[in-house]
Amino acid sequence: MGTPTIRIIIMALFSELRRRNVIKVALLYALASLLILWLVGGSLIWLGAPKWANEFVTLVLAIGFPVALIFAWVYEITPTGLHKSKDVDQTQSFVYKTGQKLNAAMAVLAVLGVLALVGERLLPTFELPKIIEPILLPPVYEVPDTAGVPEEIRAHTLDNGLRIIVWPDHDIPNVVMYNFVRAGARNEYPGITGLSHFFEHMMFNGTRRRKQGEFDETMEAAGGANNAYTSQDLTVYQDWFPRSALETIFDLEADRLHHLSIDPEVVESERGVVYSERRLRIDNDNFGRLYEQMMSTAFIAHPYQVPVIGWPSDIESWSQGDLESYFRTYYAPNNLTMVFTGDVLPDEIFVMAEKYFGPIPDRDPPSSITTVEPQQQGERRLLVAADAPTPLLHVTFHAGSATDPGTLPLNVLLSVLVGGSSSRLHQQLVESEPLALSVGGFQMEGLDPGLVYFYLTLPPGSEVSVVEARLLEELDRVANEGITDAELQKARNIMVADYWRSLSTINGKAAALGRAEVFRGDYQLAFSLPDELQAVTAAEVQQAAVDIFDRNSMTIGVLRSPAEEDEHEDE
Amino acid sequence: MRMNKPRPVLLALLFAAAAFADGVTLPTAERVVLENGTVLILNENHDVPLIGLEAVVRGGAAADPVGKYGLASLLASLLEKGAGERTSAEFAEAAASVGGELSASASLETLTVSADFMSKDAALMVELVSDMLQRPTLDAGEFTKLRDRSINLIKAAKGSDPGNLMPYYANAFLFGEHPYGNPVDGSESSLANVTHGDLLAYYADMVGGDRLIISVSGDFEVAAMRDALAAAFGDSPPATGALPEVAVPAAVAGSRVYLIDKPGATQTYFRIGNVGVSREFARRAELDLANTVFGGRFTSMLVTELRTKSGLSYSASSRLARYAQPGSVFISSFTETSTTTEALDVALGTLGQLRDLGLDEEMIVSARNYVMGQFPPRLETAAQLAGIFAMLEVNGLDASYINAYGDSLSAATPVSIAEVINAVYPSADNLVFIILGDADIIREQVAQYGPVTEISISEPRFHP
Repeated sequence: MGTPTIRIIIMALFSELRRRNVIKVALLYALASLLILWLVGGSLIWLGAPKWANEFVTLVLAIGFPVALIFAWVYEITPTGLHKSKDVDQTQSFVYKTGQKLNAAMAVLAVLGVLALVGERLLPTFELPKIIEPILLPPVYEVPDTAGVPEEIRAHTLDNGLRIIVWPDHDIPNVVMYNFVRAGARNEYPGITGLSHFFEHMMFNGTRRRKQGEFDETMEAAGGANNAYTSQDLTVYQDWFPRSALETIFDLEADRLHHLSIDPEVVESERGVVYSERRLRIDNDNFGRLYEQMMSTAFIAHPYQVPVIGWPSDIESWSQGDLESYFRTYYAPNNLTMVFTGDVLPDEIFVMAEKYFGPIPDRDPPSSITTVEPQQQGERRLLVAADAPTPLLHVTFHAGSATDPGTLPLNVLLSVLVGGSSSRLHQQLVESEPLALSVGGFQMEGLDPGLVYFYLTLPPGSEVSVVEARLLEELDRVANEGITDAELQKARNIMVADYWRSLSTINGKAAALGRAEVFRGDYQLAFSLPDELQAVTAAEVQQAAVDIFDRNSMTIGVLRSPAEEDEHEDE
Repeated sequence: MRMNKPRPVLLALLFAAAAFADGVTLPTAERVVLENGTVLILNENHDVPLIGLEAVVRGGAAADPVGKYGLASLLASLLEKGAGERTSAEFAEAAASVGGELSASASLETLTVSADFMSKDAALMVELVSDMLQRPTLDAGEFTKLRDRSINLIKAAKGSDPGNLMPYYANAFLFGEHPYGNPVDGSESSLANVTHGDLLAYYADMVGGDRLIISVSGDFEVAAMRDALAAAFGDSPPATGALPEVAVPAAVAGSRVYLIDKPGATQTYFRIGNVGVSREFARRAELDLANTVFGGRFTSMLVTELRTKSGLSYSASSRLARYAQPGSVFISSFTETSTTTEALDVALGTLGQLRDLGLDEEMIVSARNYVMGQFPPRLETAAQLAGIFAMLEVNGLDASYINAYGDSLSAATPVSIAEVINAVYPSADNLVFIILGDADIIREQVAQYGPVTEISISEPRFHP
C-alpha cells in the first residue's frame, strides 16, 4: 500500500467509480458478454458459421469492454438526456436512478441466464457440448491453412510437447481418441524384442491410483471401449466412447501416462497372455510364420527385422528394469500425438488436455534410429518346412518410406496389380490360369524405408517354382510395358472412393489425421490424396516398377510340407 | 494387438449386440412395396458422396440339401462371375473402374448382395446389382473353378489359423443334420457333391422378386432412386420353390465331447455350449446385458478369468446366434496345449458363477452404459444404415426394435436378468464341448467331460 494520501485518493476514485455506475456497468457488461458468447457459441455450430465467427464476437466484446467503462465514466444519463459527467450539476444528478435500472438489467440477465441453463437441460435435442470452463479469450490455436482441409480442424501443442489435433463432427454423440506413441519394434534390439508390444499390454494393467483391471472397468462402465496395436513404427491406443465419458477418458489416459505402475506379478501373468497371442498369430498361423521369417531375412541390419510380437526367448526374459527404462524413454508427452474426432469442441479438448496432461513433465527425446539397411546384393531365398496342405509363396522387394516421392506411384502400381478381383494378378493367376487360390500385396509405408510385399496361397500339390516364374513374368511385364490409361484411371477411382470411405466414420477420420501427422509430419496431408493422385502419371508408375522390381533386392519365401516337395521329386 | 476386434459376422449376430443409446433413433426411411412384392427401403443422407445398397433375398443356406452344404454360398459367389452382357472379368472391371465395391454372400437365412459406390455412379450400381440378381450367367466353367477353389481354401484354413473353422465344427456337432448344423460355406466333401445343375435349380427355386428386399442409404434423391430401382426390379418374377421350413432344434441332453485332432498344434481351441434362443425371445434386453457381462466385452467375466487373472489365454468370449428358431449359445477361447483342462475348468467355473450369482445392480448399470455407448458408431455410414434397414425388414421388425431398446435395457432388473440367465445359459450337466488340438496329448484329459467323438482335421467334413 502507498502513503495515506494515496490511499485517500484511491478511495475517493473508487467511490466516484461507484457513483458514476462504472462498476455496475462493468458487471453488467461482463454478464451480458458471457450470455452472448454462450448463445452465439451454440447457434454458430448449428448455423454452420465459419470458424472465426466465434473468435470475432469475442474480440468485439473484448474491445467494447474498456469503451463501455470510459463511456460510463465520462457520460451520465440525466432527465434532459446524455451529458458529460463534469457538466452535470451534482444536485441534479440522476445516477442513483440509472443505478437502479442497471441493477434491474443485471437481475433480468441473471434470470435469463438461469432460464437458458434450465432450458438447456430440459431440451435434450438442443444438447450442446458443454464447455467445461468459460473461455473469454481462447488462445490462438493452429488453424488449417491449406485449401481442401476442413476448416473446423484445430491443432495445438502443449508446453510439454504433447501434440493434439481435434476434428469436431457432431453426427453421432460419440468421440474417438487415438494416442500415437512413437515407439515400436524398430526401437528394439536383441534381448528386448517384443517389448513395445508387451508394454502396450502393461498400459492397461494398473497405475499407482488404479489396480489392475480398473482402467477397463471404469471405461466400460462409462460406455467406452478401447483397443491398442503395435507396429514396427508405433504403439497406438484407441478409445471409442460416448461424449458423456469425455472427462473420464482424460482422467484415465492421463493417469496411466503419469502414474503407471509395473507390478512384477502382473508382468509374469501378462507374459502368458502375450505368449498365447504369439501362438495364435505366428506359431499356429502359416501366414504369420512365413511373414516373420521374410522380415528377418529381407532386413539384415535395420530393426524392421524384429518381429513385433517378439522372439519367444525374449518374451520369457525381459526384466523389470527393461520395462521401466522403456516407459521413461518413450512415454513422455513430447513423444506422443493425440487425435480426437467426433462430438467435441476443440477449445474444450485443449482446456482439458492442459488440465490433465499439462502437469506431465517432458523428457529428453529418445535417440533416433540411425541404422540404414544396406543395399541388398542379390536374391535371397528361404523355406519354412511346415505341415501345410496348401503352400504359401511370399515375395518382397525393398521400397521407400512413407515420405518417399515414389510411395504414391507404387501404391497406384499395387492397385493395378493386386487391387481387387479385376486386378492383373488376380485375373491372371487366380481366375484365368488358375495357379493360385489368392494373391495380395501391400507396401509398408513406415518411418524408414520398408518393403513391397506380395503373398500368394497356392492349391495343394502346386509346383511353387512355376507360380513364382509366372508372378515374376507379370512384374517384368509391367516394368517393360507400363500400365494403360484405363488402369491408371481405375486405380485413381478406387483409391479416391476408399479415401471417402475412410472419412465416413469418426474412427476413420482419427486414423487418417494421425497417420498423416505421424508419418508425413502434417495432418493436413490427409486431405491431399485426391490432388496427388491426379498428378500421378502412367510413366511414374512404370518407373516405380522398374526401380522396385529389381531381382537383386528380392527375397522369396516358401512355406510347404517337406513331404509335398518329395512327391514332386518322385514324379 | 491387444484383443481381436469382433469380426463382422452373420446378420443374425447383429441382434446379439443391437442396441441404441437413449435419444438416438433410427433415421426415417421411405418404404415402397412394388407390385411383384419386392420391398424398397430408401434413406437419403448426404454426409459423404457415397451410396450403400443391400439387396437381400430371403431363404439362404438353410435351404441347402443335406450333404450339399455350401450350395447357397457358391451361388452367391457365382453371381459375381458374369451377369447381363458382361463376362466375369468385365463384370469385376465395371465395378472397380469407378471405385465401386460389390460382393455377394449367403447366411443361413439370406442371400445378400452388398454394394458401396460413389454417388455419381448410382446408375451403374443399380444396373450391376440388377444384373447379378436377375440375369446372372451362372457359367458351368466358372462354377467348377469356384467350387474347386472353395474346397482348396478350406484345406488352406485347416493348415493355417484353424480357429476360423471352429464355428463349422461346433455347429455341425451341436445341431447335426438340422439346417443350423450347416457349415454355410460348405465342407470339402459337401462342396464336391454340389453340381452345376443343383445350383441352377436352387437359383430358379429360391431367388425371385417376391423374396427381395432392396435397402439403400446415402447421397441420392429418394424419388429418382425409387424410380430407378422400381424400373430395374419391378418385373422380377417370383421364386418357384417354397421357403425352407426349419424345425425347432433339440437341445443336447447330457454332456458330449467332439475332439478334432490337429497333430502338432501348440494350442487348443475350444467351444462350450448348447442350443440357445430364437430371435423371438422376448427378454432380449436382459439377455444382451447378461451376455455383455459374461463374455461380450473386455472386462467380461470370461476375459477376466481366462486372461486377466490367469494369463491362460489371449481372449475369451460368449456369443448367442439367434435365428427364426433357437440358435447356439457358445463360450469360446483357446489356450496352450498343456493348460487345456485348466482353461476348460476355468470356463466351466465362470459359467457356474454366472448361473449362481447373476448380475448385481452395479454390473447392470455398467453393461447398460456400455451397450448404449457403443451403438451409435454402428449406424454411422450409409452402408451400415442400409444393412440395418434390410435386417429389420427381412425379420419383420419395425423401428421400435431399435428405438425402444434403450427403455427395455433400463427396465431390466437383477431378478429379471437372473431368470433369463437360468433359462438360456446351459447347466453344467448339459453341455457340448468342441475341442481342436493335438489329440495324442489331450485325448485322455478331455474324456472327463463326457463321451468323446474324435475326428481328424484332415477328414473332408465337419460333421462327426
